[in-house]
Amino acid sequence: MSSLEELKLELKKLGQEYAKIKTMPEAERKSFGEKLNARKSAILTAIHKQEEIAESVNIEPIDLTAPFGENTKPFKPTRGTKHPLTTELDRVAEIYRQMGFNVIEARQLDDEFHMFDSLNFPTGHPARDGYDTFRTSEGFIPPAHTSTMQYRALTRFRDHLDKYGQIAVVVPGRVFRNEDVDATHEHTFYQCEGVFVSRDATLGQLLATWQNFFETYYGQKLHIKTQPGFFPFTEPSLEFQIEKPKSLSGKGDGWLEMGGCGMIHPNVLRTAGINPEVYKGFAWGGGIDRLVMLKFGINDVRYFESGKLEFLKEF
Amino acid sequence: MLISLNELKKLVKITVADDELFRLIGSRLVEIERVEDLAPKYKKIYAAKVIDCEDIPETHLHLCKIDAGDKLNAEIDTEHNNYIQVVCGAPNVKKGMMAAWIAPGAIVPATYGTPEPFEISARKLRGFMSYGMLAAADELALGTDHDGIIELDPKNAKPGDAIVDILDLNDKIIEVENKSLTHRPDCFGLIGFAREVAGVLGQPFDINYDEIEKTIYDNTATSKNANKLIVKISDYSICPRYAARVFTFKSLPERSPYLTADDIFLIKAGMKPISPIVDATNLIMLRTGQPLHAFDYDKFVKIDGSNNPKIGIRLARKGEKLLLLDGEEVELIDTDIVITSGDTPVALAGAMGGDSTKIDKDTKKIIVEIACFSLYNLRKTQMAHGIFSEAITRFTKGRPAFDIEPAIVEALDVFKKLGGENTGSVLDVNANIYDEKGEPKHAIVNITAAEINALLGSDYSEELIIKTLTNTGFKITRKNSELEIVAPLWRTDIHIKEDIIEEVGRLLGFDNLPINFPQRPFVCSEIDPMLAFKTKLRIILSDRLSANEVLTYSFVSKTLQEKVGEDSQDSYQIVNSISPELECFRQSIVPSLLDKIRDNEKTGFEDFTLYELNQVTKKAWGLNDEKVPVMKTQLGLTTFGDYYQAKYFLSELSRTMNLNFELQPIEKSSLLEPLHAAAIYLNDTQIGELGEIKSSILRQFKLTSTISALTINLDSCLSADKKQKTSIKLSKFPSVSRDLTLRVANEAKYIDIESGIKEVLSKISDIIYIIKPVSIFRKPKENHKNLSFHLEIASKTKTLDSKEISDIIEQVTNSLKTLGAEVV
Repeated sequence: MSSLEELKLELKKLGQEYAKIKTMPEAERKSFGEKLNARKSAILTAIHKQEEIAESVNIEPIDLTAPFGENTKPFKPTRGTKHPLTTELDRVAEIYRQMGFNVIEARQLDDEFHMFDSLNFPTGHPARDGYDTFRTSEGFIPPAHTSTMQYRALTRFRDHLDKYGQIAVVVPGRVFRNEDVDATHEHTFYQCEGVFVSRDATLGQLLATWQNFFETYYGQKLHIKTQPGFFPFTEPSLEFQIEKPKSLSGKGDGWLEMGGCGMIHPNVLRTAGINPEVYKGFAWGGGIDRLVMLKFGINDVRYFESGKLEFLKEF
Repeated sequence: MLISLNELKKLVKITVADDELFRLIGSRLVEIERVEDLAPKYKKIYAAKVIDCEDIPETHLHLCKIDAGDKLNAEIDTEHNNYIQVVCGAPNVKKGMMAAWIAPGAIVPATYGTPEPFEISARKLRGFMSYGMLAAADELALGTDHDGIIELDPKNAKPGDAIVDILDLNDKIIEVENKSLTHRPDCFGLIGFAREVAGVLGQPFDINYDEIEKTIYDNTATSKNANKLIVKISDYSICPRYAARVFTFKSLPERSPYLTADDIFLIKAGMKPISPIVDATNLIMLRTGQPLHAFDYDKFVKIDGSNNPKIGIRLARKGEKLLLLDGEEVELIDTDIVITSGDTPVALAGAMGGDSTKIDKDTKKIIVEIACFSLYNLRKTQMAHGIFSEAITRFTKGRPAFDIEPAIVEALDVFKKLGGENTGSVLDVNANIYDEKGEPKHAIVNITAAEINALLGSDYSEELIIKTLTNTGFKITRKNSELEIVAPLWRTDIHIKEDIIEEVGRLLGFDNLPINFPQRPFVCSEIDPMLAFKTKLRIILSDRLSANEVLTYSFVSKTLQEKVGEDSQDSYQIVNSISPELECFRQSIVPSLLDKIRDNEKTGFEDFTLYELNQVTKKAWGLNDEKVPVMKTQLGLTTFGDYYQAKYFLSELSRTMNLNFELQPIEKSSLLEPLHAAAIYLNDTQIGELGEIKSSILRQFKLTSTISALTINLDSCLSADKKQKTSIKLSKFPSVSRDLTLRVANEAKYIDIESGIKEVLSKISDIIYIIKPVSIFRKPKENHKNLSFHLEIASKTKTLDSKEISDIIEQVTNSLKTLGAEVV
């Protein structure tokens, strides 16, 4: 192959050739011009190749495995982070909205009426102790479950029964339990509650609704199973489980407990001013923290409220 | 609660494979925590007879020859004339006894399934080969006893028999999650549990309670009552029912030296064999779910000094003390229920007996108490005294008043077998629990099959419903179109139609229900505006402004509040907080964020911004219409840098939220340095503040850099009117740019100068302009500063020439002179 200098010289000569076109007979000009153009293009390509080779000699290799270059500072992109719990709560709310549920948020300081009385817990009943509730000196309660919002959800959307024949609400929120904290227990965590009321609500519909939520959330068909449970505010009461999804390396044999559910107790409807002879309802609720822990393989629930950027920057 | 599958099989015909049974129990009765298969745990453990036993001098050890049957003898030990040599350290090992021998290669059962299973080998001890070991109860995981090796009954065991067969350990133990049976006190006994299992399997249950009831009354009527019991209940609400029987023994039965079938029954249920009398009460409890207590009759009578036992049931009086069976003296609280002899407390009802009426080797006569007590009181007793026995666990589920009969009958049976004669009985003191006809009161529910199917979404036939409920003890009669369903006496949880619907759905399997969706009208659903707003803010703050969202606890310490100058008295205080760190409901977000900065600095993060969107409250805000505290959703943000850094966040938020925030000097702030801070106003209401945190506060958080904070109450932003979006005007003619630097006095406000420029430009017709600040410069100690602006000016109608531009700039500079600004 010719050297770069030779090629450049050839290009110069070729330039002079173009001058000849003027003196040529009209008939030959076209083919002559085309030949010159083809020749020029070939030379230019060859020059480009030569230059590329010449330049590549000057480029020194870098260590592709190093985190940053020689004599430079560590690269620190400024990137914000969203908390994985709030991101997931948004996702959960979004799915329910697409299913037709209204979304309201839970309060973080509530009272005995909303937390227990309106939910058919008999006064002084030991079931109240089962929730390990915190209390303030005034008797207010940082709620131990998002069910504390059921009464509000039912009364606030009661007019929907006349307008649309149903109440459909979900309530995400922060809840609190007086529990010793360890890798799987937090005194502060998040839940999402769902409430549906219509003239012909059934237990079968409840199972279908919650199953569909999880199928959408995990993007696959999922088997479900239930266990009898006990909650004063639902009758029948069930514990709800889903098959461990493939995205969590489920192989079709494991089950995940997702929370409690059941048909709303007639007393709960009655307290909220809804006639249980006419309307039936179902409700369900489960934790959000564990969904997020499973999704991202987080092994310690305490990271969530730690405020540690080392943890948060992962999201 | 632990349930032995073998015991269950004695009461119910199990028609499915074990695993399927566990699945059915799990999905239709109760949550199963785990199932333990005992058989593999006791592999290679045999009965072996001690043939010879000699002391090894100067040790506590014994050199034994044991017989484990010809086959094992020959296989394991070839040296010792067809016997196996074992070195044993137990003090009770003796020639002739039948012991449990763990063969070499077996795992010690107590370590089976643990991270460090211990495999027994043949090895030399003190110069003697020892093949395997003779086992104590704790090593076999059959109790905690390590005082000596266990002895097997030679009537049931011959050398070489596998221990799983002798001790009925070919069994599976079902561990039930008690919480999931909170409402089912009747299931806390083997009989009640078995009835439900039969129901789940679609079978009728054999043990008929009606017959049992009759026997009881017969027994009571015909008993000789040589020992008349006088029972006085101070208040039936604390003790709806109290029955007792007296048993007289010629001599109290002695404990068998062997591990008996009853011992194994107790051990499988997680209990410890103690003495024949106590064991008998526990066995009855495990079968019927009804706890019993036995008093020494003579001691009981002696306390009061009368001829017959005067049993009293009343609330404890404040300050009363009671020495319990376990040797501990408790100070009683006024909700404790006590059993008294006369008026002297002798037992803490439902929880534990007293020391003064304890059964001992001289006991000849016992009073067996079979009663039910208020679960509310016992719940408090349990918490106050920290007693979590099998008995109180059952009582706190609420023993049904009419479910004590089976225990009364079983007591008669069991104590008779132990050699006791029933010499006194009392069944009922409270007649109020019966109806007008003197019959026990049943719960009755009228319901139709259609109603059941409507709520379940099922299509079960009336026939199937009747059969299903009848299997578990409900009595059903068809009345017109309805079913009259009479609940059995042990079902105190049945009150309304939904309770019956649950029974049908559960016993037939909720998992078998047809799944279908509710019909939904085409109506757009709403989202709480605050939730939507927070989502939007997170996008701005995290995705656009590189801030980091954190979540911190809603509870903070008084110390933290003091550090930032908040008044803890204004916080709602958690009375049962986990620690002082979590005592106060927080009034604002920023203090929680400040608390997180130092740790992040330590792990190498620099110049970061933290923010949180969450609820806060304080007492000063009062209560809302629902009579609960007013709560506000707040944005709290901290960032490295000065006032202007925080202001940058605010202006970006203002722009994207379309809100016109106004800044005004801050009058006082406990958190912020007043000269470097501003109050944020929206429509004449203060909604937040921003600025630099006082360095005295930063020091307390061990922070050395300048840090600024921003607080906005978001509720006010939501309700505020949105400002009109600036309509962007573009000219088709090119714009001209000019830089303008103005010297102004140090005190001059930037905003006045900028407004001054805008005012002039706005008056010139047909032009469009953009004004951007470029720099604000002041030499140290000088009393004036230079403000530089970049202007872009275009005409809407033509291309501006340089003269026209110069004219415009001149107009601007002339006007600014009145504000004391000079062009540099």
